[in-house]
Amino acid sequence: MSPGANLDAPPVLRFTDGIPGFAGAHAFALTDLTDDGTFQMLTSIEDPELSLVVTVPWLFFPDYELDLPEHDRRSLGIESPEDVVVFCSVIAEEVSEGLILNLRAPFVANPHTLAARQVILDDEDIPLRARFGGEA
Amino acid sequence: MLVLSRRIGESIVIGNEVVVRVIDVRGDQVRLGIDAPRDVQIHREEVFLELQKENESAATASVRTRDLVGRMPGRPPSTDDQGGTPGRPVRPRPHPRARPSDD
Repeated sequence: MSPGANLDAPPVLRFTDGIPGFAGAHAFALTDLTDDGTFQMLTSIEDPELSLVVTVPWLFFPDYELDLPEHDRRSLGIESPEDVVVFCSVIAEEVSEGLILNLRAPFVANPHTLAARQVILDDEDIPLRARFGGEA
Repeated sequence: MLVLSRRIGESIVIGNEVVVRVIDVRGDQVRLGIDAPRDVQIHREEVFLELQKENESAATASVRTRDLVGRMPGRPPSTDDQGGTPGRPVRPRPHPRARPSDD
């Protein structure tokens, strides 16, 4: 066995107020999907059939800026930029193989407490479906 | 659906902890003020419904997406134009599993 392999159970994020569209699912395991750390998988503890691919938005959109609303920061106990982890859902388009990232409603977690929520940003100019790459 | 009439400045109370106050009425627009516990998320319905649909799409597409990104070579090209630190991946936010190296 290689040192450090799978010794840690994956972190389980707690979405106490749920995720829109996934009624009843509040706990999601976060696991690495690709070796380079670009993509992760969120898998529901309550319903292991329910999963989402996620990524760090800045890897694809370096100019992405996010203004986390005050009530979301307080709810997650976020006091400084070190207290926050941000990722977005990813959808692979069927034919073009482009990626669609949800930049408007990122998943935001506090890495110390693992409290998490899907935040809808106030800025209406941020796309819910931001396209990256793919053959036209 | 319960229907109530309220004047500007009046409120309704939902459960024990949510208060919705009519702040202003101008033409066909009503401004509402909402007091709710921190863990209650408040959204405009149309945005909420759109997000619900998007999340469902992401869950439906997760197997296809997992297969595709598993076949992708390395990191996305958009990070290549960050001069200064060639070869270093851009990781603006720490991964939850990453522990601070304090020694």
